[in-house]
Amino acid sequence: MVLVINGAYDDSGHEDPGHPERPDRVRAAMAGVADLHLGSDLIAVPPYTASRAELARVHDGGYLDELGAFCYAGGGDIDQDTYATFYSWSIATNAAGAGLAVIAELQRRNDGVGFIAARPPGHHALADRAMGFCLLNNIAVATAALLSQGERVLIVDWDVHHGNGTQQIFWDEPDVLYVSTHQWPLFPGTGSAGEVGGRHAIDRTVNIPLPAGATGDVIRQAIADIAEPVIDAFSPTWVLVSAGFDAHRLDPMADFQLTSGDFAEMARSVATFAPRPGRLAMFLEGGYDLDALRSSVHATLSSILGRTHEAEKLSSGGPGADHVARVQRERLAALEMLHSTEEEETTP
Amino acid sequence: MKLLQTIVVGYDGSSDSETAVRWALHLANETNANVTVVHATGMLEHLHNRFSRDEAPPALIALARECGFDEARLRWLVDDGDACSVLLRTAAPPIDADVLVVGARGHGKRVGLLLGSTSLEVTEHATTPVVVVPSSYVDR
Ligand SMILES: [Zn+2]
Repeated sequence: MVLVINGAYDDSGHEDPGHPERPDRVRAAMAGVADLHLGSDLIAVPPYTASRAELARVHDGGYLDELGAFCYAGGGDIDQDTYATFYSWSIATNAAGAGLAVIAELQRRNDGVGFIAARPPGHHALADRAMGFCLLNNIAVATAALLSQGERVLIVDWDVHHGNGTQQIFWDEPDVLYVSTHQWPLFPGTGSAGEVGGRHAIDRTVNIPLPAGATGDVIRQAIADIAEPVIDAFSPTWVLVSAGFDAHRLDPMADFQLTSGDFAEMARSVATFAPRPGRLAMFLEGGYDLDALRSSVHATLSSILGRTHEAEKLSSGGPGADHVARVQRERLAALEMLHSTEEEETTP
Repeated sequence: MKLLQTIVVGYDGSSDSETAVRWALHLANETNANVTVVHATGMLEHLHNRFSRDEAPPALIALARECGFDEARLRWLVDDGDACSVLLRTAAPPIDADVLVVGARGHGKRVGLLLGSTSLEVTEHATTPVVVVPSSYVDR
């Protein structure tokens, strides 16, 4: 199976000295790809800049105007976490376009797996606001493009932070299923189990908040017990992954205890949700420890491509096992409440 | 219109946020309202926690004393998220603020730009009245 990646574009201008969301992250991720030694099985598609129309499927026009103007006025701090520079508009639109280009190539081949190593990351970006290091929501732009082609998209978000932007954008969209495992409490403060989707998309959001220190065994159990039945019922035609690697035990931004082996195992299980070859693409989100990022990208992609690799042992024994049952109870209670309000409204 | 009972004010340690807190405490003194001071813990703050979740920062306590505000009516809250979302969440029930007070600019913001202005974002999305206290405000 081939690996389709986005072609390199110059992202060095989106940098703020000392900020952990830095150009070296993409280099580390690409080193993880190079470690696969794929030869002719590695396909890099040319860089592509997302058009205004492609961005406007998920972002407000006013926000796009403002962000562009802000960058070209020299940029600065957007909030306590998020910066933009003069070059950020051009770099962010290339990051959003990278997913579109990789997906188009997967469609053309009807084969392969996609990996988009682009930055700035996207899953915190709201329709009308930048936040959490994110300017444009790359995975949402890709998802919206697939929706416009009549596809049903599963988004699995295993970044350690909740993808509040992605959740918000597709909150009421029945053809998108958003599944997130994340540390809680933690930034951005959203993603409780009781958030299950809007009126037209009930049970199309599956949040699995887990405590600091959570290990791979708990996350695997949570995905199997809580998410899998919902995914099976949804039956996606495409699977996109918000593949943040900041849930790694060495990452400074959070406190999960995952290893590169855990990412490989999660990737193996997520790949089974794709209906056929050429329908799975992974988007880099977080991941701020460069060595952990490199080894985790390597392990993840090796696992999906079915190649032998060395990875850290699976982690286990952390807290959170009792949370899985609690998360499920909260979800079911929220679903029941939504369904009963629906019935009340439809009963004359 | 109901009496002013609960004031929520954002705090990030910047001098603008101190100005906002000072204004909120004076208003609370006049109206006998309670004050919830909230700090939004952003993503980067995980690297270096600036504020305790359990205890109000000394600078805030000092400010309350300086304003002659009864500390028993002061509540300190730390919540995860960007400043705008945290302020809006805090102002919503159960705290249910009667007024939300914000400084004009927090740390490191550039003057005159719409993007990145917490006060403007909050004003756009809030359902409670918002007071934006300008940086230049001096108590008279
Ligand atoms: Zn993250």
